[in-house]
Formats: sequence, C-alpha cells, structure tokens
Amino acid sequence: MVSLDAMSDDKPHAAGSVSHGDTSERVGMEVIRERGLDPEDLREKLIDAIGAEFTTYYYYTNLRMHLAGEEDYKEITEDARLEDRAHFELVVPRIYELEGSLPNDIRDFADRASCPDAEVPTPMDDSGGFDTSDLEVEDILEVLLEAERCAIRTWSEICDMTRGADPRTYDMAQRILNEEMDHEAWFIELLSKERDDEINPAGHFARGEPGDAPYSTNNRFNDSA
Amino acid sequence: MTQSSNEPWTVTIVVPEDSSLDETGETYDLDVGADETILAAARSAGVWLPADCQQGWCTTCAARLVEGDVAHPNARRYYDEDDEAGYILACTAKPRTDTTVVVDQYDDFLEFRAANDRPPGNSKLDS
Repeated sequence: MVSLDAMSDDKPHAAGSVSHGDTSERVGMEVIRERGLDPEDLREKLIDAIGAEFTTYYYYTNLRMHLAGEEDYKEITEDARLEDRAHFELVVPRIYELEGSLPNDIRDFADRASCPDAEVPTPMDDSGGFDTSDLEVEDILEVLLEAERCAIRTWSEICDMTRGADPRTYDMAQRILNEEMDHEAWFIELLSKERDDEINPAGHFARGEPGDAPYSTNNRFNDSA
Repeated sequence: MTQSSNEPWTVTIVVPEDSSLDETGETYDLDVGADETILAAARSAGVWLPADCQQGWCTTCAARLVEGDVAHPNARRYYDEDDEAGYILACTAKPRTDTTVVVDQYDDFLEFRAANDRPPGNSKLDS
C-alpha cells in the first residue's frame, strides 16, 4: 500500500496547506491566497460589485418605464436591465464559494454597492409621484450611460485584481465587462443622436431574446432556479 | 493666490509608508488643471492610485488633504463632515490651489464614515 505522503511526493498538487478530508477550509480559496490575492478582500469587492448590478437592475426598471413612447430606447434599456440581473446571478455563487454571503439587510447591500444609485433624474412632486414636467429623454440616457461607465470601471478593477491569481473569478469578470462595454456603446449611440443629433454607431448586431447576456450566461439557469 | 483658470496647480501626492501600493513611501508633484481630477492626473502620470466608480460614490479613492483646497463638484456621495475632517475623494477632487494629499486612506475613511453613520461605512465594516 502506498502512503499518502509518498503520493504527495509523486504528485505535488495532491498536497497543500489544507488537511486531507478537512471541510473547514477550501483549497479553492487557498490557491488564490498562494498566488498573492487575499480571497476575503476579493469576496468583499465582489459583493460591492454585484450590489451595483442589483441596484442598477432595480433602477433601470424605473428608468425604462419613464422612456414612455420611446419603444426602441425601452428595448435597449430592457436588454441592459436584464443583463445586469444576469451579472448579479452569475457572481452570487462565487461569493458563497469564497465563504461569503449576501448581506441580510438589502439596505446594507445598496449602501455598499460600488456604483451610485441610478435614479430617475427628476424631483418628486407634492403627492410623492415623479414630477415629469421637465424630464427629458436625454437626461435618462445620460444616467444610463454613466451607470454603465461605472460598471466598466468596477469590473476592470476586478479583472486587474484576479488576473493571474484567480482564473474562475477573472473569467466571470471579463464576461461581465464585455457586456458592460456593449451597454456603454449602446447608450453612447442613443444619447449622441438624442441630445446632439450626432451619429455615433455602437456597431453592434441585435441581441437575441431580451436580456440575452451572450457572454455572461453561457451556462443557462434552469427554469426552477 | 490667484491664477488663470488654464494654469495647473501643483498637487503633491504622498503615498504613506504603510500603504500597500507599489509606490509606498514615494512623493510626487503633479501639475493638475482646475478642471482635472487628482486621480486622472495621477494615473496619466503613471501613479496608479486605487479607485473604482470614479463618480465620488464608492470611496475607494479616499485621501487626506494635508494642505490646500479642492472642490468636489461631481461627487455623488461626499458630506460636509468629510470636508471638515479633511478627507477628499481623489476621483472627483479638483484642485483650487496648490495642494498636498496623502492617498490610500480607504480603510481609515470607512471607519470615519461608520462613526458618522454615513455609507458605506457600517455596511462594509459590519459585514
């Protein structure tokens, strides 16, 4: 019979700092630490980042509703909205793999989101509803554009953090980044035309179904998820 | 001191000895235009300061103002008590005079925000 120690000598990857059979630690985290990245720091950054994806999913719902009559803009905003939700759902499991969890209080989740609230850019009226008397389409498009830009910066930072240290998170982050860059291009095109009457093509072909998320949902969730 | 709006101010960036940044212990003098943020000027000069949102919200870029004056015209979440305590957000801070800042103050700033019950302080530190 070959001892475990002997096996380790032959196969260095079968050894490590996590004891044989120990379920209190995760090799999936230790390999990140060994490569110079603190998995706890990364996990907290990911919670902030998907906090922003979740809040934008919420705020885009309202922004989309207020693009009343602008059906093409609504369709594009719907794609971005649903893809931001897809980004949230893509990374949630990674939080748990890194021994974290979502905040129990959604207010904490929103407070720590890495991007600003993307509110409808109009004051509330005396009855607590939106005062839309001076609300312009271009104002909404500008909010959408800046939200996407924040997301690009956030996921670029996470790509920087994980490059060469955590290929699993890097893969997720670069997929999300692909879609955030698509979103920025869409809103540059729409805002340029709406506000400045300039043609500034995104240069993209149409998505499939709304919220297709072609990069970030290559593994589709089943209907019961 | 007054100067033309086109002339840059000198912003001295101090990276503290206990920083985890590659530039730890270094000091840089940068020319920063009145319409330019300290973060953008630093990154353009090859000094890679930490930042995420670059909209004055997440506070990753928090720094401490040692000397001078800055304005935060576009910060999304910057409070009077931040200003009174000498904290700035380098991503949106624009110099209004020659200025010296100590960068990489995120951890201290989270504690400060938490003590003042301002986000994202407690939501980060209680996690």
